[in-house]
Amino acid sequence: MKKRSHSLAAGARRSESFKSWLIMLPGLILMTFFVWEPLLESVRMSLYKTENIELVKFIGLKNFISVMGKANFTQALVNTFAYTFWSLLIGFVLPIALAMLIGETVRGKGLFRTAAYLPNMLPGLAVIILWSAFFSGEKSGVLNILLGKLGIPTQTYLTRSNLVIPIIISIATWKGAGATALIYMAAMASVNPELYEAAAIDGASVWQRVIHILLPSIKKLAGTLLILQIISVFQIMYEPMVLTKGGPDNASLSLMQLMWQYAFGGSMDYGKASAVAVIVTVILLGMTAVYSYFNNKESDWD
Amino acid sequence: MKKWSKAMALLLVMCLLIAGCGTEKQAEQPAEPTEAPQLSEELQGELDAFSSEVIDADLTCTITLGNWPPDTAAASELALFEGYKATMAKQYPNVTLVPDYYSYSLSNYVPMAKGGTAPSIFQPPFTDPQLLISQHLVGDVTDALAACGALDKFSPSYVEMLADQNGRIYGLPRDGYVLGMHINIELFREAGLMTEEGLPKYPTTLQELAEYGQIIREKTGKAGLVFPASETYGGWLFTNIAWNFGCVGENALEYQDADGRWVCNFTSPQAIAAMEYIRDLKWKYDILNADATTTDWAGAHSALGTGEAAMNFAADDSVDQPTANKGLPLEDFALIPFPAGPEGRYALAGGTCYMFSPDITPEQATALMAYLKILGKLPFLDEDIIAGMRADYAAKKDRGAPVLPAISAWNDEEYNNTKQAIIQEYCNVDMRLYNDFFDSVSEGTITLKAEEPVFAQQLYRELTAVIQRVITREGADITKAMTQAQESFQEYLDDEINS
Amino acid sequence: MRKLPRTGVIRDYDMSSRSVRIGYGIIYALCLVMVVFAVFPLIWVVFAGFKDLKEFMSSTSILPRSFDLGPFLKTWSQLGIAKNYLNSLISVTGSVVCALIFNGLLGYGLAILKPKGYGVVKKLVMLSLLVPATISIVPLFMNIQRLKMGNSFLPLWLSYGANAMYVVLFIQFFESLPQSMIEASRIDGCTPLQTFFYIVLPLSKPICAVVAIFAINAAWSDFLLPYLVLRGGPLQTVMVRLFVFSTEQTVNADTMMRSVVFSMIPPIILFALFQKQLTENAVSTGIKG
Repeated sequence: MKKRSHSLAAGARRSESFKSWLIMLPGLILMTFFVWEPLLESVRMSLYKTENIELVKFIGLKNFISVMGKANFTQALVNTFAYTFWSLLIGFVLPIALAMLIGETVRGKGLFRTAAYLPNMLPGLAVIILWSAFFSGEKSGVLNILLGKLGIPTQTYLTRSNLVIPIIISIATWKGAGATALIYMAAMASVNPELYEAAAIDGASVWQRVIHILLPSIKKLAGTLLILQIISVFQIMYEPMVLTKGGPDNASLSLMQLMWQYAFGGSMDYGKASAVAVIVTVILLGMTAVYSYFNNKESDWD
Repeated sequence: MKKWSKAMALLLVMCLLIAGCGTEKQAEQPAEPTEAPQLSEELQGELDAFSSEVIDADLTCTITLGNWPPDTAAASELALFEGYKATMAKQYPNVTLVPDYYSYSLSNYVPMAKGGTAPSIFQPPFTDPQLLISQHLVGDVTDALAACGALDKFSPSYVEMLADQNGRIYGLPRDGYVLGMHINIELFREAGLMTEEGLPKYPTTLQELAEYGQIIREKTGKAGLVFPASETYGGWLFTNIAWNFGCVGENALEYQDADGRWVCNFTSPQAIAAMEYIRDLKWKYDILNADATTTDWAGAHSALGTGEAAMNFAADDSVDQPTANKGLPLEDFALIPFPAGPEGRYALAGGTCYMFSPDITPEQATALMAYLKILGKLPFLDEDIIAGMRADYAAKKDRGAPVLPAISAWNDEEYNNTKQAIIQEYCNVDMRLYNDFFDSVSEGTITLKAEEPVFAQQLYRELTAVIQRVITREGADITKAMTQAQESFQEYLDDEINS
Repeated sequence: MRKLPRTGVIRDYDMSSRSVRIGYGIIYALCLVMVVFAVFPLIWVVFAGFKDLKEFMSSTSILPRSFDLGPFLKTWSQLGIAKNYLNSLISVTGSVVCALIFNGLLGYGLAILKPKGYGVVKKLVMLSLLVPATISIVPLFMNIQRLKMGNSFLPLWLSYGANAMYVVLFIQFFESLPQSMIEASRIDGCTPLQTFFYIVLPLSKPICAVVAIFAINAAWSDFLLPYLVLRGGPLQTVMVRLFVFSTEQTVNADTMMRSVVFSMIPPIILFALFQKQLTENAVSTGIKG
């Protein structure tokens, strides 16, 4: 008797399991069609000589060798790390600082939050086009007009190879920093204000409270956001594409842009484009693995 | 806070609605072909002149027409195309025309051709046909062309460009262009660079270009030359400058050696001298526009058209850009020959062609030839075609673009002469501002030269990178940069064509 | 006036110190600088829209010569932006519906139903978060072409039904729901689908709102895949149009700035309407993600 009910339950569970998969099926089909299959396909394509999108011949790692042997790959790789570096320098600290500042305000806090989030709502393409006018090197460039009021002579910006990457990162930061700041604010708000009160009464200075109470409260979040930020900035593509077209002299060429050039820039080499895509993916997965290794280690200590 | 946001939203919605209501009617106008919006009587007359006899009622197929003018195009241009469509419908009642706004670029075309969604007809530049033909991405129209009698009038240089090794034809020239220089006369006047007849005293050599540019910079504060050095444009213009410095024949930028291997040579003394010239334009004469490395083709025309720069290397087919599109009055605009260099006087000649989807049927090919005939793009002169030409020039005149003699892509004297005569009727400019350019071409004082033969876009990209380095870093090592570009492009050639 | 509570590090108690008061003043000053910084470019682009090409290229003044709305109206009608707005609206609507239904159901399966073997799928979804979407755009586009879905909204709508981030957001929210209620409904004989619609969904309004807002914003701003799919045809959206302008050089710089303004109006309206949800709920949801 007991045995029978058991098998009945197993049957019911099996049919329920079937129904559950059925519910997930549409989503799974879409994920397969839009994400997983194209990803595998691009890995496969990277190992083939392609003519248009047809795979002509399996050539092993030749695409990778050819792509990585070129000067523009080294340049794009270095640039992409430069993007990441500048993004960490400008884009990582600024949201935390903004969150701390806005968090301290009382009156007008709503206004500050709104203003901080606003740029994040704007379409990225529109933002880049808008800012391109700010960094125009002509007298009519917005930055030149503003600096001219301070008596600074007309400058060019996008023609300077050491400035383009920080400029592009600044624009991306203008768009994203406020929204990230609000995420930090939410984490900071989880600290009970009475804790600060108690610390203050114990004689801890404002700075000591920031360092010992506030910053630890966002430590874990900062780690997560850091890796997300690296992943997103590593894929930077349309920003330099629209603003500088990778110039001057490839100084702002990113890896993903190189991929786009191989695929759509005239040579139609989808095999090589896929090879670049695979390299980017591998680097990203590598960095994520390193991050989660240290992250796990740290949480072991906690 | 809440009140503020609601009020803000309300305000924006209202603005939007007002803007929407106010213009709804106008917006619909261009999309309404039957009610041709205020055309000049002249143009309307030309449109009515289209013949309406049925030519072939049995031809049944559907063709999709790329490069159909978008609804943003000038009303006169839209009406013109609707006119073509109407004529086609009358002459071939069973051919269905599907307008397609498709605008060709190599990147968007290839996947479409592979996926079977390419429009039946589209317009690539002359740099691409050989690539498309070798990849089997375009359709063969040789038979249809022979059937309508245009095959033997094909200019041999175009056969070279638009056929495969077996002589099968895959494309037709739409129009050719010759590179020269656009001039903003207003700035020349301001700088005192005028002749006694009141014409601009323009540079005939590259050296004069640098010197005049300097005068203009000093007198007006504007750029002497706008140089679009972004992506591939810089390299494109540079090839012409390099030819004039002697990069032809054995010093050519790219050539095929005795073994049939494609070789590039960017380090000849001539090529280095040409690059040094570019360097001097920036660092010695300082006549370039500020943001040359991000300036593109349209940006260069804007700079010239709005008086931010006095000179721009550009062709006769884009004279409508600074004038009709960017607002430079016709009397302040001139087109001059490409300045000569120390070793030669060349002008880059190129153009746009019509090509066809790889899967067109013979019926579609026939219908497409008929359509091109109506457009006046085949070397025939019947009433329809003359009507079409007149309509085209009237449309140009209508929107304030210069109507100029065309450089023909067909070897047919009668056709060419008649065409020039019609253009004369519509001419809306002082031809003295253009004569030197056209005379230099017709009299052969300037040598026309097609683009570098293989992988021109990649060559331009490499050279543009060098130009960008040279004009953004004062002490850049030109020989080193050119050597690097040469190695990189040679590697590309070896990969793509020499293996 | 009601006194607002102080929530930051600085307490009322500290305000007796002069240096803290000065510091507090600096904090406010910096916040105001941030507001100016965030808003000025938007004001500027509207000003720029009032300029014609020559003024835009030459003028060294931030303010336009005149505030005549003419250029905006001209651009609106000349470029037929009303039609692009409508296209964008259709594209966005379908995308939001797909984003909610397909990702929601997948999240429901992975967070609550957990059928045998769900762990693998969940890992795959998590891993997809790390892979840039643009990386496989070429093969994806070929798939779309092969199925002859080019020049239609369908692939764009469906692509929003396959968003790993939204799935993860749903999973995290569903996992936080009281399991007892779901268990109870199952004991009452509800099928999994009934449980989803009668129990889970009504509890999930906050997450649906967040995903919807994210999806609206993303679908509105998206242009790479839409560009390849709609390719300059009659269905092109506002952002595709803007991308075409920026690559094909058919539009003058002044018209470009007005197009930028038009492309920003709907997101700003959306923001104004849902500002509270966005700056509060969306953020606190994002924190878990």
